[in-house]
Amino acid sequence: MVAPLAARGPLGLGPGPEAIVRAVAASRRSARLRFRLVFLATWIVLVGGIVLLIGSTGRVDLDFLNTWTPLILGGIPITIAVSVTAIVFATMFAILGALGRLSRVAPIYAAATLYVSLVRGTPLIVQVFFVFSALPEFGIVLPAFIAGTFALSFNYGAYMTEIFRAGIQAIPRGQIEAAASLGMTERHTMRRIILPQAIRIVIPAIGNEFIAMIKDSALVSFVGLHELFWFARTVGTSHFQAFSTLTLAALVYWALTIFFSLFQERLEKRMAASDVRL
Amino acid sequence: MSIRGRFAILGSMALIAVACSGGASTPPASVAASQPAATGGTESTAPTASASAAPIAGGLLEKILKSGKLVVSTDPKYPPQSELEPDGTYKGFDIDVATEIAKRLGVTVEFVTPDWTAITAGGWGGRWDVSVGSMTITVDRKKVLDFSPPYYYTPAQMAASTHSGITTLDGLAGKTICSGEGTTYDQWLNGTLDYGTGQDLGKPPAGIKSTTLPTDTDCPDQWKSKRFDFDGWLSSITTVDGAIKAGLPLVKVGDPVFYEPLAVAVDKKGPADTDFMPILSKIIADMHSDGTLTAFSQKSFSADYTVAAK
Repeated sequence: MVAPLAARGPLGLGPGPEAIVRAVAASRRSARLRFRLVFLATWIVLVGGIVLLIGSTGRVDLDFLNTWTPLILGGIPITIAVSVTAIVFATMFAILGALGRLSRVAPIYAAATLYVSLVRGTPLIVQVFFVFSALPEFGIVLPAFIAGTFALSFNYGAYMTEIFRAGIQAIPRGQIEAAASLGMTERHTMRRIILPQAIRIVIPAIGNEFIAMIKDSALVSFVGLHELFWFARTVGTSHFQAFSTLTLAALVYWALTIFFSLFQERLEKRMAASDVRL
Repeated sequence: MSIRGRFAILGSMALIAVACSGGASTPPASVAASQPAATGGTESTAPTASASAAPIAGGLLEKILKSGKLVVSTDPKYPPQSELEPDGTYKGFDIDVATEIAKRLGVTVEFVTPDWTAITAGGWGGRWDVSVGSMTITVDRKKVLDFSPPYYYTPAQMAASTHSGITTLDGLAGKTICSGEGTTYDQWLNGTLDYGTGQDLGKPPAGIKSTTLPTDTDCPDQWKSKRFDFDGWLSSITTVDGAIKAGLPLVKVGDPVFYEPLAVAVDKKGPADTDFMPILSKIIADMHSDGTLTAFSQKSFSADYTVAAK
C-alpha cells in the first residue's frame, strides 16, 4: 500500500492530503497491532517459562491439589468480603484523617498527624496482633472478622489520608474564594464544592489501594479468619504441600488483582472524562 | 463469617458422629449428659449431671451451658492432633478429645482457629472457651492460663535431615536446630522450659543454636525444599513420625529427649472458671479411666500416649 504512494511521488502527482492521513492512520494501526502481538507473545513465553520452572521442581502435586482446591478456593469470598469492607472503612478514616490534617485547630491537626505517623510507622502485622490480642486487655473484645477488617482499614486509612489531603489541596483556591463570594460557609464549601471534586480525583488512587488491600488481607489469617491464605497455609503445612497450595493461592491472588485492575481502569477512564479536551 | 460458622457447625456435627461411633465400645461416663449432643447436636439447656450446683453467675460454666456450645480453639496445622478434611471439617486426636468433652458437658462443640501464639498468650476475651490443643503445662503459661490435669503425654523427639548425615544426639552438638514458634521445644532448646515441678528435663546437645519457623512442620518442609539452614528439628514424636511417614528426608535421632504433659487450657482473664475446672478435671479423669482417651490415642497415633512415661 505504501509502495505505490511513494512511487507516485517523483512524478509530481503526490497523494492528496486525505490519502496521507489514511496511510498514517493505517501504519499506526498496524504498529499498534504489532505491539500487541509482541506483548502477547512475550507474556506467553514468560508465563510459560514460569510455569515450566515451577513444574520442574516436581513439588506441585496435581493429585493433591485436585482434592484440596475446592476447599482452598472456598476462602475467596472471605478474602473479597474483608477487602471490600476494609476499603470502605479505610475511606472513612481517610476522609476524617485528611480533614484533620488540613484543620487549623491545633488539637485536631495534632491528633490526625499522630494517627498518620503512628500507623504508617508500625508494621501492619503488629497492628493486627494488637487489635486482636491486646485490645481485650482494655475490655474491647472484637470478633475475628471485625478485628481483622478494623486493623486493615485503620492502617490503610492512614496511607489514604495523605491521598485525600492531596486531592483536597488540588482543588484550585479560586473555587474556595468563589464559594465564599457566594456566601457559603467554610463547612458548606468543603461539603458541596471541595469534597465532591476531591473524591473524583482520588478514586483511581483508592482503586490502587484496594488492589493492594486484596493481598494484605492475607495478614488477617493471623486472627483465624478462614480466607484464601489461611486455607492455603493450613492445608499446605499439615500435608507438607505448602509449595503446591501457596502456588495456587498466588495464582488466585494474581487473578483477583487482574480482575479488579480491569475494573479500576474503566473507573479511571470515566473519572477522567471531564479532563478530555474535545 | 457465615462461611466460617457453617464450617464449624458442619465440623462439629460430623465429629460428633465420629466420636459416637468411635467411642461406642466404651460406655460414656455420664450417659445422661451426653444424650442431647449425641442426637444430632440439639442445644441443651437442661442442667447436666455434672453441673448439679448452680453455676457462678457470669462464669465460664454458665456461659457454656447457656449458649449450649463449647467453643474450642484448635490449630489445624498440627496433624494428627488437628487437621482439615477436604470438606472443611476437622479431624484428629485433639478434635476427638474436644468433641468428647463437649459431649460429656451436654453441649455441642464449635472450633475456632486463632494463631497458636494468640492462644498461648492468654487474654482470649471470651472469644473461645477452652484450648484443647496439646498444650504443655509450663510455669510461664500458668501465669496466664489455668490447666486441667494432662489428658496425654508426648515424647519430644529430635530429628536430623538425611542430608546432614547425623544419626546421634551428640552429632547435633554445635549445630542449628529448628522448632515451631512459641513451642516448648524452642524453650527447651534455649534452656528456659520449666514445668514448675522441679523435674529435670535434661539438656540439649552442647553448643547448639536454635531457630524457629511459624509452625513445627515448617522445619522439615525446608529440607524437602532443599534448604539446609539447620540440621536438627525438635518436635513431638507424633509430628516427627508424621513427617517421616509423608516421605520427608529426615531420621529420628536418639531416644526422646523429654516428655510433655499436655492439658486443656482456660484463659485466666476470661469468665470465672472456679466451678468449671473441677468438672473439666473430672471429665478428663473419667476419660482416662474408662479407656476413651486410650482408644482415641490408638486411633490417631497407633500408640497409647495417655500414660506418663517418666
